[in-house]
Amino acid sequence: MMTPILEKIALFISVALMIVISYWLGQQSYNWMPVAATAEAKHVDDLFSFLVALGSFIFLGVVGMIVFSIITCRADENDYTEGHPSRGNNKLEFFWTATPTILVLWIGWQSFNIYQQLDIEGLNKIIDLKASESGNKSMLIAQKIPNQIEEIEVIAKQWDWTFRYPQSNITTSELHLPQNKRVRLILESEDVIHGFYVPEFRFKQDMIPNHRLNFTFTPLKEGKYKLHDSQFSGTYFALMEADVYIDSPEAYGQWLQSAHNNILKPSLAATEHAHQPRQLIRSDWPTIEPATPFVAQQ
Amino acid sequence: MTNFIDNVLGTPARDTREGKKGNLLFGVTVFLLSESMVFVSFFLTYIILRLSTKQWLPSGVLGPQLSITIIINTIVLLSSSLVIYLAERAIKKYKLVRFRLLWLTTSVMGTYFLVGTFKEWQGLDFGLSTGLVGATFYLFTGFHALHIIVGIFLQMLMLVRSFVRGNYNRGHYGVISVSLFWHFVDGIWIILFSLLYLWQAKH
Amino acid sequence: MTHSSATNLKESQIKQQAWKRYFTFNTDHKVIGIQYLVTTFIFFLIAGILSMILRGELITPPSDLVDRSLYNGLFTLHGTVMIFLWIIPSLVGLANYLIPLMIGAKDMAFPKLNAIAFWLIPIGGILLLSSFLLPSGSAQAGWWSYPPVSIQNPTGYPINGQTIWLLSIIVLGISSIMGGVNFLTTILRMRAPGMHFFRMPIFVWTVLSAQLLQLFCLPALTGAAIMLLFDLSFGTNFFNPTSGGDPVLYQHLFWFYSHPAVYVMVLPAFGVFSEVIPAFTRNPLFGYKSVAVASFGISLVSIFVWVHHMFASGTPSWMRILFMFSTMLVAIPTGVKVFAWTATVWRSKLHLDTPMLFALGGVVMFIIGGITGVMLGAVAFDLHVNNTYFVVGHFHYVVYNTITMALFAAIYFWFPKMTGRMYHEGWGKIHFWLTFIGANLTFFPMLPVGLQGMVRRISSYDPQYAGWNILASLGAFLLGMATLPFMANLVVSCLIGIQAPNNPWYATGLEWATTSPPPTENFETIPTVTLAPYSYGLPQYSTVDTTDEEAIKRHGN
Repeated sequence: MMTPILEKIALFISVALMIVISYWLGQQSYNWMPVAATAEAKHVDDLFSFLVALGSFIFLGVVGMIVFSIITCRADENDYTEGHPSRGNNKLEFFWTATPTILVLWIGWQSFNIYQQLDIEGLNKIIDLKASESGNKSMLIAQKIPNQIEEIEVIAKQWDWTFRYPQSNITTSELHLPQNKRVRLILESEDVIHGFYVPEFRFKQDMIPNHRLNFTFTPLKEGKYKLHDSQFSGTYFALMEADVYIDSPEAYGQWLQSAHNNILKPSLAATEHAHQPRQLIRSDWPTIEPATPFVAQQ
Repeated sequence: MTNFIDNVLGTPARDTREGKKGNLLFGVTVFLLSESMVFVSFFLTYIILRLSTKQWLPSGVLGPQLSITIIINTIVLLSSSLVIYLAERAIKKYKLVRFRLLWLTTSVMGTYFLVGTFKEWQGLDFGLSTGLVGATFYLFTGFHALHIIVGIFLQMLMLVRSFVRGNYNRGHYGVISVSLFWHFVDGIWIILFSLLYLWQAKH
Repeated sequence: MTHSSATNLKESQIKQQAWKRYFTFNTDHKVIGIQYLVTTFIFFLIAGILSMILRGELITPPSDLVDRSLYNGLFTLHGTVMIFLWIIPSLVGLANYLIPLMIGAKDMAFPKLNAIAFWLIPIGGILLLSSFLLPSGSAQAGWWSYPPVSIQNPTGYPINGQTIWLLSIIVLGISSIMGGVNFLTTILRMRAPGMHFFRMPIFVWTVLSAQLLQLFCLPALTGAAIMLLFDLSFGTNFFNPTSGGDPVLYQHLFWFYSHPAVYVMVLPAFGVFSEVIPAFTRNPLFGYKSVAVASFGISLVSIFVWVHHMFASGTPSWMRILFMFSTMLVAIPTGVKVFAWTATVWRSKLHLDTPMLFALGGVVMFIIGGITGVMLGAVAFDLHVNNTYFVVGHFHYVVYNTITMALFAAIYFWFPKMTGRMYHEGWGKIHFWLTFIGANLTFFPMLPVGLQGMVRRISSYDPQYAGWNILASLGAFLLGMATLPFMANLVVSCLIGIQAPNNPWYATGLEWATTSPPPTENFETIPTVTLAPYSYGLPQYSTVDTTDEEAIKRHGN
């Protein structure tokens, strides 16, 4: 048997080891996420890293104790006598009720703070239905900082994305965003609930028919990304995607110039509906017809 | 702590006949509490839809109107609760004839209410698919009417059983349960009535 | 001599006839319990096959195995069958078998109602599955059936998959309410003399708190389903946004039940862990009272967390933050339970029989499910992974890797009691290891692939996600194979297994005091309870004869 001092040292070493591993996993967790392409994404990744570190610590602690017991506390085959008679320990029980309480309050507080930081950068504009309906809030911001916000309308219908640039009067099938400039998306759905989701942007927002929802964010990292519908919208849900580009300010300006001649592409869903791919088992159950390409209302 | 909880819920009289019949009453009460949650979901739906819809009544539609027939209907239904209570008291004293008379009166009052409801439906200027007002009105009153129909059916069952010799010698928990159900249906109507008729929509 | 041979003859006749009662309207809670377990296990196999077809489609990025409508129908029915026809009713079946035995009652409070509640299950299930044969196809709007997708009816048929789905949900809901009334009455009013609340086994506590949730939250779903049915079939527009209805309202009503439903499912699983772990560690459950009260804590808090499913649904900020905190609160009573199990295992006398392996495996995997659950409660992070495979992974860590593992633990643990025969230990262990490896292989890859942004419910996906998906699909096939030794083991053991003693595990609890299998009315005389639960120090629960007066005093309560 180990002496009490040795036991304490062993306990200390294992807790220290757990802390190191959890911290390391927390740092690693940044790599598990896709590229962070917006200013908001970094905050979300920080939150995730914090959650991973804390979660790993709890996981290692509990599973470590169970595995240690499995290895060291095996009974003989026919020994069905009592293990130990302890039915509880008020101090210990208080401790393990208080610990998760403090932990979840800490997690809650952290996520709240990070959520508030997103707020400052404009994510909360998504939410206030009544205000966004009347357009008061967004108009206020637009008045305060004219030309600072790029406004783009996102129109979803089964199973097609269309983007309108009211300031330049363009309608396209791909979304271009200017780097380092605040962008306000105005989300509209024409039929069912859809969801706006670009993994590299780290947020999503449902699009509810007859409710215009706005939200604001800042694209940071140049590149090509993919927008996907995130709320199940029927038969061709899997195909409801569109290309998203974050362009440097110059490239964005050039694109706005040339985009006038862009022709709207038919959606993937419409293409597949016209030419069904080979599938081993076919049900041919009736479906809603995919929408035809959006025609600019001019 | 242990004894406190045990005292509140009582030590169960488990295998006696009283215990088993008591189970029935307890079970019916639990069921009614659960059933009331369906109505709560309807009431909340109604309130939320009313509050968030700008134009509740489509143009040219008056909506459900508080009329003298509906008030009489409501009075009949609510006073049937009193009648069924008297019937319950009669059976507790084993006055079977008085019980049957009062019991039957309750059913007749319930039937009167049902007929009144269907007549009102025929005279309305909107249908089931006329906006949210039609949908909520017909579904909720219809669902309530369904409960009245079930109540009357149960009353008939109890009435028939009252002719079985000695049926109530061991207690009359069936009667108490049906009566409880009837009070519940009446209580629901008070809320439904307030929501549908007393909360007048602006034009 | 003649007398006893006559009774023997009678007994063998009864035994030969015994299997027939499982196909009749029997009111014995033990028969009904086994009816539930077997019926729901068949539904589990069906839904499992559906999921293997889904994983077969997802093993390659393009849509090449089933067409898109069929894929949507398959995942809709997979979810619905697993939740409403496997997990919820199978736990009801287990509780049906055990509760009267555990509290020392002869039967449930309302035996006929019990039988009706059971027979609604196969009716609802066959109704639901038959919708595959309709010309319109089965329901394709997912088990959550959000309008407007669920009220779009491209076929024009008045009877379509979605109406059938709604009807069977209403039928199954009625069955659940009947069960809830029965359990509540039985537990509160039918306990044996001396069975105080704080002498009830934890399983009884968890069933009680789970059934309270069923009784008071399920009706909201029934109400929503009725309104959705009217929208779909009778031209109303409660939830139709183009005519003034509110689709988000449906989401509130739906999650008001369907979030607590997770606790309806997981609480009895916690109860199973709390029975199995003390028996195989030879310890009293550590912190029994706080574990018991934590069950109520969990069910109470779980009523106020539903909006965390709707963080992305245009929910106002104040609601997001409020529900974020309430969601995190669930972690506290849940943590209390996990720590109590760990402390029970610590410094004990461990026996790693099959039920214990499943219980420990379930607890370990539940920690992953729980931690990812707390992560999902954090709004800012949730907005990234909501509706991705991260949620699918988290959810299956709870419903499969915790609850289904608990169900397997329970079946092995009480199998000797139910059938009077022992199962084969070796095959049980093979089943455990195949399941444990298969389950992690299937559901763990969903977490990283979800973080990467793979949206759930899609039938084709970007090739960058292929690696993790291949792993998950292979895991799913392994998981399917893993049920074969289980079924073979139980069927063969039922027929030719070794006779089981009354208490093969030397476990505490009234169910082990009666014969295996128990007689029709459970106990020859109704027992009087004088002990605290989980008194593992007592001589009657031990192989060694220790007539220790002190021990008996210590365990008297």
